[in-house]
Amino acid sequence: MSTRHILLGLLEAGPSHGYDLKRRHDERFPQARPLAYGQVYTTLQRLVRDGLAEVEGTDADGGPERTLYRSTDGGARELTRWAGEIAPPAPFVANEIFAKVVVSILAGGDPAAYLRTQRAAHMERMRELTAVKTVPGADLATVLSADYALNHLDADLRWMNTTAARLTTLTAEVDAA
Amino acid sequence: MRTELRLALLLTRGSDRREWWRVLLTAIGAALATGIGQVIAVLVPMDSQYSMSVGAGLLDQPGTRNGVITALMLLFVPVLGFLGQCARVGAVHRDRRLAALRLAGATPAQVRRIAALESGPACLAGSAAATVCSVPVLLRLWHRPDPLAWVDITVVAVLVPVLGAAVSALALRRVAASPLGRIRRVRPARGPGRAFQVATGLLAVLAVLVAVAAFTGDPFAFPLVGFALGPVTAFAVCLLVGASAVWLAGWSSRRLGSALAARTGSPAVLIAAERLRDDPWAAARTHAAVLLVTVVGTGFMGVREVLLAVLHAMDGADNLGRDRTYYTTGLDLTAAAILVALAIVLSALAVGTAESLATRRRDLAAQAAAGVPRGVLGRALLLETALPLAPAVLVAGTGGMAIGAWYACTATRYTVPGVPYPALLVPLAVYGACLLAAATALPLLHRSVQPAELRYA
Amino acid sequence: MSNQGDSSVPLLAGRDLVKAHGRTEALRGASVELRVGEILAVTGASGSGKSTLLHCLAGIVRPDAGAVTYDGSRLDQLPERRLSELRRSDFGVVFQFGQLIPELTALDNVALPLMLAGAARAEARVRAGAWLERFGVRGQEGLRPGEMSGGQAQRAALARALATGPKVVFADEPTGALDSLASEQVMTSLVHTARESGTAVLLITHDAQVAAYADREVRLSDGTVAPAGVAA
Repeated sequence: MSTRHILLGLLEAGPSHGYDLKRRHDERFPQARPLAYGQVYTTLQRLVRDGLAEVEGTDADGGPERTLYRSTDGGARELTRWAGEIAPPAPFVANEIFAKVVVSILAGGDPAAYLRTQRAAHMERMRELTAVKTVPGADLATVLSADYALNHLDADLRWMNTTAARLTTLTAEVDAA
Repeated sequence: MRTELRLALLLTRGSDRREWWRVLLTAIGAALATGIGQVIAVLVPMDSQYSMSVGAGLLDQPGTRNGVITALMLLFVPVLGFLGQCARVGAVHRDRRLAALRLAGATPAQVRRIAALESGPACLAGSAAATVCSVPVLLRLWHRPDPLAWVDITVVAVLVPVLGAAVSALALRRVAASPLGRIRRVRPARGPGRAFQVATGLLAVLAVLVAVAAFTGDPFAFPLVGFALGPVTAFAVCLLVGASAVWLAGWSSRRLGSALAARTGSPAVLIAAERLRDDPWAAARTHAAVLLVTVVGTGFMGVREVLLAVLHAMDGADNLGRDRTYYTTGLDLTAAAILVALAIVLSALAVGTAESLATRRRDLAAQAAAGVPRGVLGRALLLETALPLAPAVLVAGTGGMAIGAWYACTATRYTVPGVPYPALLVPLAVYGACLLAAATALPLLHRSVQPAELRYA
Repeated sequence: MSNQGDSSVPLLAGRDLVKAHGRTEALRGASVELRVGEILAVTGASGSGKSTLLHCLAGIVRPDAGAVTYDGSRLDQLPERRLSELRRSDFGVVFQFGQLIPELTALDNVALPLMLAGAARAEARVRAGAWLERFGVRGQEGLRPGEMSGGQAQRAALARALATGPKVVFADEPTGALDSLASEQVMTSLVHTARESGTAVLLITHDAQVAAYADREVRLSDGTVAPAGVAA
């Protein structure tokens, strides 16, 4: 996930300062991990360094001084390029659950019990997300981002179900190696 | 052809109990048709006086023999109706199977041949059984039969299975045409096809021709023409009445269904009425033969009452040429034939009702699971038969009464018979018998609503 | 005798249920509880006994052993006539398909249980229309189930199940034949209406995303309730 491109995209709407960008990010992408302040400021400084954004000015508004940033032409071009680029479909299979199952077999643990607990945790999270999206009057952005997570959790669950059913074969294979 | 034969055998062997019911019932129907056909086949070549030990002398003379032949030909009508109902047993299942064969790459012609091969043997079995029974009977009654009779018997025995196979291939022409044919949904029939319309028209023309011939001259004066026209006319007129009854029943089912569905407050009536509206021709097909039997039966009862009154009067006046039993035996034989026809028709009705239940068993089980009482489902089932049958039987009974009353008016030479009111009992009895026949399917309803049926997707 | 409001006592409970179909044992001592207003998902692989459990709890079949208690009385000991009455008055059922009468319009299908409960036809149709509207089946009241899309037909089926104001709705794979969007709409309708009216729902599904609509999940494996999580 490229934070710099998301911030660049939010700047396209007009000049904005760091706090405002963070707030709009969290609003636009509900259920995503909230941005940290420090991360927002570091990213903005890098964008200025690379010529993709520039400082518009500062406004104090009686409070602490805040720097306003805006996107440059180079920034707009970079954003268009990035937005049209495909996201590489799963280039590396980084699967923590699978790693834990294998390690558990190697260490003589109980992978079945682990999968049961993991499955229960996944279900609990799916219920939470479903509850979020079924609140009457939930907006579409909320529903869609919850759906995205639900589909991924569901995929994990299916994988866990088939793995649980084939643990004996897997154990034999891992132990033999 | 070998592939088709092997596939047909495989499919028959792997089929469930319902398929076997169809095979059995089809064989019975074919046996009936062959039996009747062979008796006719033996009677037709006889061209002079014989002395027969059966039929109280009715078979001795060409004139009365023609009457017997006519009656037997009329018996074909309910037998055909029965065979039609049998073909519907498991029809949905079979259609799916054949459509699946098409999906698997069979050509339409192959599918038709397989279907023909599936029903052909059933008809062959029935026809063989009937032939095995009828040949010894013939030899016992007639020591040196005419060679022509043998030829005719063989022709009938071969023709019945061939016709059966041809008809089933014809009935499946629509399924065979499309691999997705009826997999999605059982479409209610839109109504009688064009072939049926043409047949009705031809029958009507024939009836008119005969009526005209009756006025221009006496066709019965010439033996050949007499034979050709007499029985065939009666046969054609009855088929015409049957065809009209189908139209009437279909039309009235639709009207009755719409009217009741819009107004009723009873769940059972609502279900029955909507089913009638959805597929009025289903009821019409089942009830056509019933109506035919009602017309013939009521008319016969009227004629019988009048005849008996006349015979009584003539006997009193010593005017009878022959023994009175000669006439009454004829009447009794006709009555027996009509009763046989009624029995066949009622079996067809029972088979039809049972099949309708079997096709819908998952839906019915779901209704019962949802708390719709079995009583409501049972009443809906009976109403589906009772509602469209009531006006149709009324019309048929009126027609039959008209025949009886007309006959009473013409037979005034020896006595003045009154209107033959006992004939009125016939439509009532037929109606009651039909309800009873439909009610025989109720135990099947009880089995259909078992939750196990919910498992079939 | 009503438990309404006291959520600690189960509204419907099956204990140690055993049921065999011929030689195969579909249930081998399954126990499950449904509280007032609760939405409970029963999940498990095909053939794990989910549907049989639903049939036992809904009084559609009698278990071979074990007890089903509904609202303080033994369901498995009631005579068939009482069970049928109870299914009509207190329970609603939704299956994958088949619960709508194909020859009746959507409106008449929903009106049917109301008529069976004694409502006059006109009144039943008015109330049925309101239910259909609530489930988003608008302008299709006069269509027969075969003429509607799968999702619309399932919503009409939900309207039929909920129209009599049941205390428990039994749903057996209600979205089994639907795509994910139609499935979401059907489930949202079901959950909203059940929450509003305080109806308990026993939801049978093999789909985790559908099960996630429930408050709680029970997993069946080989006819018994598996420990929380994946059955080994």
